[in-house]
Amino acid sequence: MKKMFKSPWLEVNFMLLVLILSYIALALITGSAETEAGAMSGGAIWGWLFGFFFLSFAIAMVAVIGGIGGGVLFTPFMLAFTPVDSLIVRATGLIVAMFSGLISTGLFMKTGLANLKICIFCAAAYGVGAFAGAQGAILVAQHLGATGEGIIRLALGGILCALAIYFLVGGKKIEWPEVKKVDKFTDFFKFSQPYFEVSLNKVVDYPVTRAAWITIAIVGVGLLSGFFGLGAGWAIVPAQNVIMALPLKVAAANSGVLLGMGDCIGVWPYLLMGAIIPAFVAPWLVGQVLGGLLGAMVLIRVKAGFVRFLLIGFMFFSCFGLLTKGLNMLGVIGAVPAWLNGLVFVFIFSLVTRSIIKFTRAQE
Amino acid sequence: MSTQKIPEIPKAALIYGSIVYWITIISCIVCMVGPVISVAFPDKNVMNPYKLFNAIFQGKDAATIWQEVGGGFPGGHFYLKHLSFGDAITQAGIAFGCSVALWGLLASAVVYVKEKNHIYVILALWVSLLVALSMIGIVSSH
Repeated sequence: MKKMFKSPWLEVNFMLLVLILSYIALALITGSAETEAGAMSGGAIWGWLFGFFFLSFAIAMVAVIGGIGGGVLFTPFMLAFTPVDSLIVRATGLIVAMFSGLISTGLFMKTGLANLKICIFCAAAYGVGAFAGAQGAILVAQHLGATGEGIIRLALGGILCALAIYFLVGGKKIEWPEVKKVDKFTDFFKFSQPYFEVSLNKVVDYPVTRAAWITIAIVGVGLLSGFFGLGAGWAIVPAQNVIMALPLKVAAANSGVLLGMGDCIGVWPYLLMGAIIPAFVAPWLVGQVLGGLLGAMVLIRVKAGFVRFLLIGFMFFSCFGLLTKGLNMLGVIGAVPAWLNGLVFVFIFSLVTRSIIKFTRAQE
Repeated sequence: MSTQKIPEIPKAALIYGSIVYWITIISCIVCMVGPVISVAFPDKNVMNPYKLFNAIFQGKDAATIWQEVGGGFPGGHFYLKHLSFGDAITQAGIAFGCSVALWGLLASAVVYVKEKNHIYVILALWVSLLVALSMIGIVSSH
């Protein structure tokens, strides 16, 4: 019980209290509000605000367990299945990705798992990419109109499909990479930061290499993240692990810190041109912070490897939605009927269920 | 690969982590309270929240939404002029959260100065400068 009054539980409890009071107040105010013609009813507003928060909270929690960033789930889903303008969705997606990174930063820094020097070094490159990507997204939206909306959905559908396949096959990752030679450029930055590795019960120091190459890769990752509002943990982790030879856990921790740091640069072009609409973004932001914190504190201890299959299934379904909606917007195909969406959903999630059963049996 | 003595966490990292953590929490709390003020006083908003959601779900783009519901986009830092407005309070919370790396990195740079770690002073200030320029909107292609 005592721990509930100590950090981090103290601030989590305080935030939960404010959250509950806020939604009660919102329900009372919107329930009795009289709205003009053409405006949304108070009950519907409350429903949307709560629905957004709940979905964001669930995404943040599932993302923590599944090891996939919230932005990768949010942006494709919203673009595929809602009529909301793509620039507004991508701007909100960047906020989702950024705040899921920001809330994990404190914990990763306190445990020494994240390496601030490497994060600052990479942010110098990532920020340039994310900023350019965000500017590119705004230019495309301003000049390509409905065609641009269709092309963006198609491109994102392609990226998401490739990502889902990558997550399915596992990608090339090495838990403890060996470094045979540290080049002079990398050595100059003195990245070394030993930390206590709980799983090994010992202190681990890790030499890193190829710092010059990582900057090129990270600029590209930043561009993608800024343009599509996806977040980029899926690319930062393998880039740092494979190119720089960072241990997998350190690369994953750095990715969260770097997203929070770098997207502080990439998000402002969206904010300054009005694509971030405060009432729309607020519940998503709150859901990411609370869901991310609680997910990291409680659910990270739950061994739930099967969640990965759910996430991959979700990505394939969003991918189908993005591709069909993109083609529809370009006038290539007609609108996809609801029954076909349902059929694809049943097909994908029957495969997911089969994979989960196989995985659970293998674990036993 | 391993050493025996448990290492100390670098001070710059601890300070950066604390600043980011607390600003994120403050930003989150402001974003919980802002929408309540918005719906309680619909006229005290740049955009009436009851009309806003209709426009968003009609698929309108950001410029059209601001124009139709709010009479035009007042600029990203509109909260500075209308701090008593519900949506301005929410926007202030979002903006504060989106500037968090700036404050964290400036504090880290001070630690690196004390440690005479010049290369990281320069890098931390460079990233801070990128955040600051992005916030001000000086570097913009549109």
